[in-house]
Amino acid sequence: MKKYQLGEFEEVVILTIGILNNQAYSVSIKDEIESRLSRTVSFGALHTALKRLEEKGYLRSYAGESTEERAGRPRQYFEITAMGKKAMLYAKETRDELWKAIPKTVLQTNLLS
Amino acid sequence: MNKPVAHPPLLFLKFFRWYCDPKMLDYIEGDLMEAYHARLKKYGKRKADAKFIVDVLLLFRPGIIRSKAKYNTLKRSHMINSYFKTGWRNLLRSKLHSGLNIVGLTFGIVCFLLIGLYVFDELTFDQQHVNAERIYRVIEHKNVRGEATTIAAAGYKLAEESKHSIPEVENITRIMRTGRANLVDPENPVPFQETVTIADDHFLEIFDFPLVEGDRRTALKEPASIIIDEDLALRIFNRTDVMGKNLQFSHLPFPLKITGILKNHPRNSSFNFNCVMSESSYYAADYFKETMASDWASNSFSVYALLRPDSRPDSVSKKMTRLVLTNFKPDEGTKLSYSLQPLKELHLKSAGIFDGARNTNVEGIPQGNPLYVTIFSFTALFVLLIAAINYTNLTTARASGRVKEIGVRKAIGAMRSNLIGQFLFESWLTTGIAFILAIGVVKLVLPPFNHFANKELSLFSVDYHFWIYAMTAIVVIGFLSGSYSALLLSRLKPVSLLKGLKLQTTGDLSVRTGLVIFQFTISIVMIIGTLVLLLQVRYLNHTDLGFNKDLMVVIDVNTRKARSNFETIKDQMSKIASVKSVSVTSRVPGEWKTLRTVKVSVEGSTDAPGTSYLFGADKEFMQTFEVTLLQGRNFREAYDSSSIIINETAARMLNITGVSEQMVEIPAASRDGYFETLEVPFKPRVIGIVKDFHFQSLRDKIQPLILAYNNNPIHVIDYYSVRIAPVDIPGTLNKLKAIMVANDADDPFEYHFLDDQLALFYVEDARRQTLLGWAALATIFIACLGLFGLATYSTEQRVKEIGIRKVLGATVVGLVSLLSRDFLKLVLIANGIAFPIAWWATNRWLQEYAYHIDVEWWVFAAAGTLALGIALMTISYQAIKTAVANPVNSLRSE
Repeated sequence: MKKYQLGEFEEVVILTIGILNNQAYSVSIKDEIESRLSRTVSFGALHTALKRLEEKGYLRSYAGESTEERAGRPRQYFEITAMGKKAMLYAKETRDELWKAIPKTVLQTNLLS
Repeated sequence: MNKPVAHPPLLFLKFFRWYCDPKMLDYIEGDLMEAYHARLKKYGKRKADAKFIVDVLLLFRPGIIRSKAKYNTLKRSHMINSYFKTGWRNLLRSKLHSGLNIVGLTFGIVCFLLIGLYVFDELTFDQQHVNAERIYRVIEHKNVRGEATTIAAAGYKLAEESKHSIPEVENITRIMRTGRANLVDPENPVPFQETVTIADDHFLEIFDFPLVEGDRRTALKEPASIIIDEDLALRIFNRTDVMGKNLQFSHLPFPLKITGILKNHPRNSSFNFNCVMSESSYYAADYFKETMASDWASNSFSVYALLRPDSRPDSVSKKMTRLVLTNFKPDEGTKLSYSLQPLKELHLKSAGIFDGARNTNVEGIPQGNPLYVTIFSFTALFVLLIAAINYTNLTTARASGRVKEIGVRKAIGAMRSNLIGQFLFESWLTTGIAFILAIGVVKLVLPPFNHFANKELSLFSVDYHFWIYAMTAIVVIGFLSGSYSALLLSRLKPVSLLKGLKLQTTGDLSVRTGLVIFQFTISIVMIIGTLVLLLQVRYLNHTDLGFNKDLMVVIDVNTRKARSNFETIKDQMSKIASVKSVSVTSRVPGEWKTLRTVKVSVEGSTDAPGTSYLFGADKEFMQTFEVTLLQGRNFREAYDSSSIIINETAARMLNITGVSEQMVEIPAASRDGYFETLEVPFKPRVIGIVKDFHFQSLRDKIQPLILAYNNNPIHVIDYYSVRIAPVDIPGTLNKLKAIMVANDADDPFEYHFLDDQLALFYVEDARRQTLLGWAALATIFIACLGLFGLATYSTEQRVKEIGIRKVLGATVVGLVSLLSRDFLKLVLIANGIAFPIAWWATNRWLQEYAYHIDVEWWVFAAAGTLALGIALMTISYQAIKTAVANPVNSLRSE
């Protein structure tokens, strides 16, 4: 039931991390979301989401190399944990099931109107 | 290649660093910088800066902001725990030292709280009324040809019209105090002589005198209403549920209905009336209507005004003056103006204001003495300060014992602020313990203290402001006593501390000696003050007054019958075997009731008339009071109604050297400082001169006095004075009472002994003397505790030196004097500083009295010796103990 809690924005973030695969750190995640979904993402929102995901155990982070453009600060890379993957799948499956349960006619009429 | 690096707005970067959770700080800052640089290339600096600011602001949200609970408070509470633990261990480790500190501080705080309560009570007189801040008393200033009078009274119309024509006056009330008259319960007619206060119905609107029963809005509205307080109800009826009962008042033909029961006044109320009658009771009377319709400037009423918030009293009083002067024209040469005195100044700042609007046999509002309030406030603070100094002295003296501890703390990273915190915390801990103990002690001693100070002080029902002040004082004292050692010890370098170097404490030593001198200076000043006060009170009670006050019964004349029958009554009284002599007079020497004053001049003289007191006396007066006649003769029988006897001072004023039946003229007389011309001038002959006697308190110089015969036209007789033999006094009193009652059943037998009455003049002085005496004892005790601690410590330091000296042949006496010398020197210096201060202060205080002792040298010598002796005893205990000890014990161990 409440086994896997994943908010809408959190789901977007974790999916994006999946896409970026090994190259996921905050700036790249932000750029990716902004370019793919054309919505602006603030660092504040992003970091809060990342922190929450990490606290839930869906993400794992490690410090990466520090570069000059970051004024010597390291990057914090994220990868999805096994539990994170389960949560993603669970989210997808619940959606799919819901989709399947919608009578075709409803969708059609809705589309027409 | 050093290209200038563009950087984001530093203010916001700093803000970000300040709030960001340290765990995430690096990463997020890196992100921000990376994004900033990317934007810098893309959009330019301004836009990048703006976006940076937006980012920082959007990051300011829970989850990213550091949590205070996790990092800060945790650390601080740990530190406090540690402070508490080490502080407590320190207290326990040196029990003598902490004991001295705590006892000293407890003593100081007890004195401080007791005196503080006393002073607070004096300062908060009449503050129990909600609108106290806005209530003012109307004061009349009158100047008749250069003779100024200030009197707290005003006329009927002033009060009546101010309300209508002066917008700032929200409400105003009038009070009258008629003379003492009988109040009688018609169902059980026992006469009670009471001072009845008469007030209009605004009285209870302006003042919040609480009613136990009755409706305060209507209690004083109807004619023939009276409210009485619980005490009076108990006395007249033996119970307090007497609403609606009737009382017969001897000044009025109709009975009064009780419409309210007043709660008894608290002690810190200037008002002490016990019954108030409605002014409307008089409204129907023709004479009242007639006199009051034009009464603008009489002195018949005490007037209290409630001003609207934010009004200026001086502009209101100017309007009052203008109001009176447009309706009333004073006599030629008379200036009249009014001012407003705040209610809160009634108790302490009414010196020089005559409490008017009362009959001459009504006591004025009792006054406090601001001088004593100041003296006591300073005393309280000084006692506390001395206790704090003790703490400072003992702590710094023992500091070298803690040098290692401080060194280690510093070496492992304690900041200076941590150490200061630790020392302050320790002093607060000690002060706190002392404070709790002190509250217990105060609770124990408060009942006897109240009894003695004639107050109703209480620690727990006192206004919360007292606690705010007290707590502030305690916290400040804790801070002061700890701060010197805190600053001193935390300043030292850890290396020198750990190397075990001796404290370089020359500066510290001089501060400490300074503090000891300061303590003893105050103690000695207080001892001298107490001694002088003691001697002065003794002088007041024992000085030759010029008449004999012992074994004298003074009986009040309260009714007309008791007055007109005086010949018979006197006759009957003198027939009692144990009565030596009886006299009737209008006033008694040493009387608290107001004396009449008159204008007097020798007939035919061109000098301006002088002012003299006057009272009536019969021919037995001199014999009864044992007043000495210097010249001329005593009164004889009836035809002497136009003769007077004057005292020496009056003779000097009138330039009379030999008595030759000079005619004098008395054109005007006064009850309250304002002279009214007599319809028929009194023209008596001077038939004798008596030796000056103190007919008033010794605070006042002997004034000119005229003794007129008992049937003089100015002042009727009011007292029987009976000199009795010292045998079976109760029996004599009973016989006297029987005579009074037989002659007038309505007259309650009221009497007092003259010496008791006279002692009342100085009862406050006696109280203050005792209070100061205790405070002086406390200061010297606390100072000695400190001295004891210091002596203990300094002898401990010199134990080895003493041992070697002894081995080399020093005597015990030599050693004791060596050890005591330094301290005694300090006490001597303190003596030197204290004497001039005490001399100046006691002389200033003695100026209050017209007749006072001279401060003699032996008072100083006694105080100095006392201080020196106590100090010597304190020190010598330690000194002797060390000096007689076997040197082997101190030298064996190294």
